[in-house]
Amino acid sequence: MRDKLLTIENLKTHFFSDDGIVPAVDGVNITIKKGETVGIVGESGCGKSVTSLSVMRLLKDTPGRVVGGSIQFKGKDLLSLSDREMRNIRGNEIAMIFQEPMTSLNPVLTIGRQIKEAVGLHLGLEGKKAHEHVIEMLKLVGIPRAEEIVNEYPHQLSGGMRQRVMIAMAMSCKPKLLIADEPTTALDVTIQAQILELMKKLSAEEETAIMLITHDLGVVAEMCDRVVVMYAGKVVEEADIYELFENPKHPYTKGLLQSIPKLREKKNRLGSIPGTVPNPLERPPGCKFAPRCSEVFDLCREVEPELLPVGADHQCRCLLYQRDLVKEA
Amino acid sequence: MTVAPLIEVKNIKKYFPYKKGLFGKKGFVKAVDGVSFSVNKGETFGLVGESGCGKSTTGRMIMNLLEPTEGAIIFEGHDLGSLNENEVRDLRKDFQMIFQDPYASLNPRMRVKEIIAEPLVIHGLLNGKQREKRVHELLEVVGLSSYHGERYPHEFSGGQRQRIGIARALAVNPKLIIADEPVSALDVSIQSQILNLLQDLQEEFGLTYVFIAHDLSVVEHISSRIGVMYLGRMVELADKDSLYEEPLHPYTQSLISAVPIPNPRIKRERIVLQGDIPSPSNPPSGCTFHTRCPFVTDLCKSQIPAFKETRPGHFTACHLYND
Ligand SMILES: Nc1ncnc2c1ncn2[C@@H]1O[C@H](COP(=O)(O)OP(=O)(O)O)[C@@H](O)[C@H]1O
Ligand SMILES: Nc1ncnc2c1ncn2[C@@H]1O[C@H](COP(=O)(O)OP(=O)(O)O)[C@@H](O)[C@H]1O
Ligand code: SF4
Ligand SMILES: [Mg+2]
Ligand SMILES: [Mg+2]
Repeated sequence: MRDKLLTIENLKTHFFSDDGIVPAVDGVNITIKKGETVGIVGESGCGKSVTSLSVMRLLKDTPGRVVGGSIQFKGKDLLSLSDREMRNIRGNEIAMIFQEPMTSLNPVLTIGRQIKEAVGLHLGLEGKKAHEHVIEMLKLVGIPRAEEIVNEYPHQLSGGMRQRVMIAMAMSCKPKLLIADEPTTALDVTIQAQILELMKKLSAEEETAIMLITHDLGVVAEMCDRVVVMYAGKVVEEADIYELFENPKHPYTKGLLQSIPKLREKKNRLGSIPGTVPNPLERPPGCKFAPRCSEVFDLCREVEPELLPVGADHQCRCLLYQRDLVKEA
Repeated sequence: MTVAPLIEVKNIKKYFPYKKGLFGKKGFVKAVDGVSFSVNKGETFGLVGESGCGKSTTGRMIMNLLEPTEGAIIFEGHDLGSLNENEVRDLRKDFQMIFQDPYASLNPRMRVKEIIAEPLVIHGLLNGKQREKRVHELLEVVGLSSYHGERYPHEFSGGQRQRIGIARALAVNPKLIIADEPVSALDVSIQSQILNLLQDLQEEFGLTYVFIAHDLSVVEHISSRIGVMYLGRMVELADKDSLYEEPLHPYTQSLISAVPIPNPRIKRERIVLQGDIPSPSNPPSGCTFHTRCPFVTDLCKSQIPAFKETRPGHFTACHLYND
């Protein structure tokens, strides 16, 4: 078995607003092993980004705070590190890329300058050597005309090229873990294909583990070794990629898989999940999915299910598989 | 037997003028550059292609929101370009549009019932009481309740807002609905609710759809025939089975092969296209796809391939099939 790289246990990150406390992340367990790609899927607002920001400790400027649980990275408790220690890990051992690279690129600095700052900062390279390193990095991520691009500004590049620059910056320090939050969502499908290929290649070469946040189950099937499904701030299912697609257990996962049109499937009608995600301020007691669940029974509205094993390397948060436990209690 | 099409689009073009540099000479963004297709009554015609290829501009020309630079749009035998204002206004209610971002297209200061009744008011249809009844009917048809009519758009989720947009589009009993990326902004579980709703409504009211999207799986699911656009031109058009089973144009082939399949057992050979989509203000010569095409020849660089019927009902603009 491969070493555990990242272990998130019962993470709770809440936002404190005038309207009340938003339990954005409310019990998340995720384990990522060395070199492994783990997908995190779920509908918007379910807490995917907040989970990743909690790992990166990037919640400072928000009304959000980690209020429970632990995050272990290579045996270190990230939540108890000093800001300086955390800064050292960020960008060195853990790197992150976002859906919209524009938000993390400085519009008034040339591409070369930005990468140089990152590279100089983290690897102690300077001057001409840094310049060559930058061009090499750009070529590695498939940027044509790298010698010219270093002198251009972010707005002069296409979305796909900007994402390549972000990947170049993220991978330049050979991180052990890359957190990619919807990295291809804003891109066209032929450009998405290029970026996914690139991420696969780089992670294989460097044995980088990837936490891949996406709402696209196609991207998950293509990229991931394991999948974590989130709903309303909690992990509701976690399994090996084949197991999840072929033997899904949670009614939400099943519903999602039936909702997506698949090429050449020739289905007249798609399955669907009725209703909408509950407002995080008014989540129901019991199972958070109960109001939309096709297999709901009385107990679901009272008892909150736990995330428990339902098979080898397969966990699920659903009372359908916990009836005996509930009876005993 | 051929059915007369509900709408025929004939070689339409839309060039947006712009200035190059401060004193520079004028140039054109060739947003749509000679697109032809027809849509039969009761069918769903899908229009796919990557962002910027001219899908929305095409939709807006059909809706009469933009005037074509060239070409003709024929609706039930009438050339829209040759009608006077009154005639156009009359026809306008036969066309309705649904947008990607339902929020941006709903007036935040109006109650939902007013939003839905707006097209009735514009076209002077029904009196007050009848309008109210119609609004309630429409809310129900799209899966909402009467009390939702009293609320404002911000009180609704994305999926519900899309339902409101659909109710508004249906108010005047249109014949044709142009749906521009109607599910692109929605989560998958909500996306399927809206797709199912659109299918139900089509059946119930005999609607014809032009369904614009960039998601090839969604377009395949909902459409009967599909046109693929690249840089302002239609590069392939066929019924959906021919298109997905035997795509002819190299661009369509790569587009389909780029779609990630939600089945981890399927490991496909993928045609990964090199480079970016060129700018429509300076499109490549000849076949505009030649800069990225794996099969490019010298001919492709100099000559625009004709859009021809390569197989029965299957049209392609590619020199590979022009002999
Ligand atoms: N800066 C913030 N301030 C207040 N609430 C926030 C903030 N960021 C996220 N949230 C809340 O956290 C929840 C989860 O958000 P997020 O993790 O971004 O979802 P997603 O799964 O779409 O990435 C949302 O319901 C949102 O209301
Ligand atoms: N009003 C306008 N003025 C100038 N250029 C425009 C205008 N509307 C669209 N365009 C350009 O026309 C091209 C096609 O746009 P659009 O039809 O919106 O594409 P799609 O809907 O396929 O993404 C794009 O390059 C876009 O920037
Ligand atoms: S015409 Fe030529 S360049 Fe264009 S798609 Fe066909 S083979 Fe490729
Ligand atoms: Mg997010
Ligand atoms: Mg568009």
